[in-house]
Amino acid sequence: MPRLSTDRLIRAKRAPEGRALAAYAKQGGAFLLTGVDARASSLGLRLAMSLADARAIHPDLVAMEAEPEEDARTLDHIAAWCERFTPIVVLDAPDGLFLDITGCGHLFGDAAALRDQIMTRLEAQGFACRAALAQTPGAAWALARYGARAEAQDDPVQSLAPLPVAALRLDDAAAALLRRLGLKTIGSLLHAPRASFTARAGERAMLRLDQALGGAPEVLAPRRPAPPVFALRRFLEPLFSTETILQAVERLCLDVIAKLELRGAGARALELHLFGVDGRDRVIGVGVSRPERQLKPLMRLLREKLERAAENLNAEFGIEAARLDVVRLERIAHAQGGLVAAETVQANADQIAGIVDVLSARLGPKRVLRAKLHEAHAPEKAGAWSAALGEKAARAPSPPRDGVMRRPLTLFARPQPIQALAAVPDGPPIRFRWRRVLREVARAEGPERISGDWMSAAAARDYYRVEDKEGRRYWLYREGMYGGDEAPRWFVHGLFA
Amino acid sequence: MLSCPSPNATSFAGYAAILAGQPLHELCPAAPGAEAAALGFALGLAAQAAGPVIWAGEEGVFAEEGAPYPPGLAQFGLAPDRLIVVRAAKREEALWAAEQGLSLPGATVICTLSQGGKPLDLKATRRLLLFAERTRARCLLVRPLAETSAAYTRWRVAPAPSFAGARELGAPAYALELVRSRSGPAGARFILEWNAHDHAFAERELARAIFAASFDGSADPRQARA
Repeated sequence: MPRLSTDRLIRAKRAPEGRALAAYAKQGGAFLLTGVDARASSLGLRLAMSLADARAIHPDLVAMEAEPEEDARTLDHIAAWCERFTPIVVLDAPDGLFLDITGCGHLFGDAAALRDQIMTRLEAQGFACRAALAQTPGAAWALARYGARAEAQDDPVQSLAPLPVAALRLDDAAAALLRRLGLKTIGSLLHAPRASFTARAGERAMLRLDQALGGAPEVLAPRRPAPPVFALRRFLEPLFSTETILQAVERLCLDVIAKLELRGAGARALELHLFGVDGRDRVIGVGVSRPERQLKPLMRLLREKLERAAENLNAEFGIEAARLDVVRLERIAHAQGGLVAAETVQANADQIAGIVDVLSARLGPKRVLRAKLHEAHAPEKAGAWSAALGEKAARAPSPPRDGVMRRPLTLFARPQPIQALAAVPDGPPIRFRWRRVLREVARAEGPERISGDWMSAAAARDYYRVEDKEGRRYWLYREGMYGGDEAPRWFVHGLFA
Repeated sequence: MLSCPSPNATSFAGYAAILAGQPLHELCPAAPGAEAAALGFALGLAAQAAGPVIWAGEEGVFAEEGAPYPPGLAQFGLAPDRLIVVRAAKREEALWAAEQGLSLPGATVICTLSQGGKPLDLKATRRLLLFAERTRARCLLVRPLAETSAAYTRWRVAPAPSFAGARELGAPAYALELVRSRSGPAGARFILEWNAHDHAFAERELARAIFAASFDGSADPRQARA
């Protein structure tokens, strides 16, 4: 997008209409033009021209200071928008994008049709753009900026040869050197003796040449990591209702499942991208607790999430494309043929995992929990809860089960202070007031001293199991001793039931 | 219509079969402060069965009664690895989670609802019943006693004093009263003790008559109904 910075200003209606526009920045003590719009360009204004010269040529020029951060943000927005065409979009600052459309072109007819659609739509949004299709990023870069044709021929050498050497993404020093040597086109560079040339122009120039021709690999970092498996669908008509979107999602699911089967893997995390006509990308993430590649459970999770998100989709202009990414996948271990009974047990564990997925998808993983038992003295640490999603039912070492309830069924997140009256200094209370009700203690067991590791010093707790006259049972503790500097404090920590 | 086993009203064994075999039961605290007992009874019923246990509770209940405590659950006889706890922010979410849990064959779903808010309507309990009937799962609804319900049996649950010496706590004990039953007359009362080791409720024979007398002045519930 050669006019990104000025297009952005015009699009934001910050520049007056009908006048030539340029952006400038201070470089080495002079104000130089960093962007010119079409009108300024036709008047002969060029990039890197000084602002003073530009004003001399065209006094009516509107010059605005460049905002590189804003330009970068706009480029990123455009890149996000382009993700409806392929998940692999690479930022090429300050004004370019690479789109890896491998396997995406057929959705639009062919690759050229895809390119044309991207260009038409970008231009409709006010961004002048040039685009080229090529086998390598380097060749595409060169053709988009310097090529007369926007498509590489079958032989990359033929299409690149007439282009100037600057099309090789060279730094200024290398480009200047080549010009001094009289090597003006890529073609002349190809015929120059390679070794002596490398020594003078640097490895990089030759690397760029090789990359453009496909002789050397070039790894680009996509804006967002490419999903290992994805499926993309575009719709002839924008979709509005959740029901039709779900039908489309089901087809995406089938596409993804076919690819997962080839890999012998299942999905652990998915992202559904719904691309709206309004240019926004709505992302819905789904976690699965074990690798899954069955349509029904996947659709159940996606439906659950989508129906919940439906009110926030704001899809009043419709959804024009959707992509389902498998963000994380995992090999599916083949079930070993065994006893029928063993299989039914396994099926049951799968069903439980399926329910955990559904519950977590709607309520959030932090609300669907499995128990964790630990060998710890501090009661708070001995039993905890963690997200059940992705967790297998762990066989924790169970405490002895002799029928005696030493620990309560429920524990308060914060011990609740009570007013207690004890008959003897280190005995259980004979009555206590909790939640404004006075409770007479009928029987008590204890103390059980727990000098936990929750605090370093002194704070040993004496726990009592206490039953009141009505039969209600409490787990109480006393912190501190009678006769000490401070009066001991009593708490209810849990309830037996 | 479901086949209705007609329980022997004088023994808990008949009701135990109904509690294990029918899809929806309600356990209501008999008085303020009896919520823990109702929950304990539900957990005991869940521990007796073999399948997975989903405990879907409103967040308010966990704040009021404390959160499930894994070591205590293990000692109670409910292995924590069988249990999935859902802490629902809203009542609708707790009910929805319970319905989802009921799609697991053989599961016991404990749904604990708070006192506040609108009482659950008949429709909501019918939905739970439908979900449970489909998969042979079972739902134990722990909530304050309400006017209407599709539950197969409804119980008032209170804690019962230990049957033990003054310096020790006995087995967990519950005083139950059958408020409604689809298969027979209501009014039966029992005092049960939970044996965590054997995963069984046992009637406290000796204490039963005393309890009955103190409850409403009648001597023995067997004679009261005869």
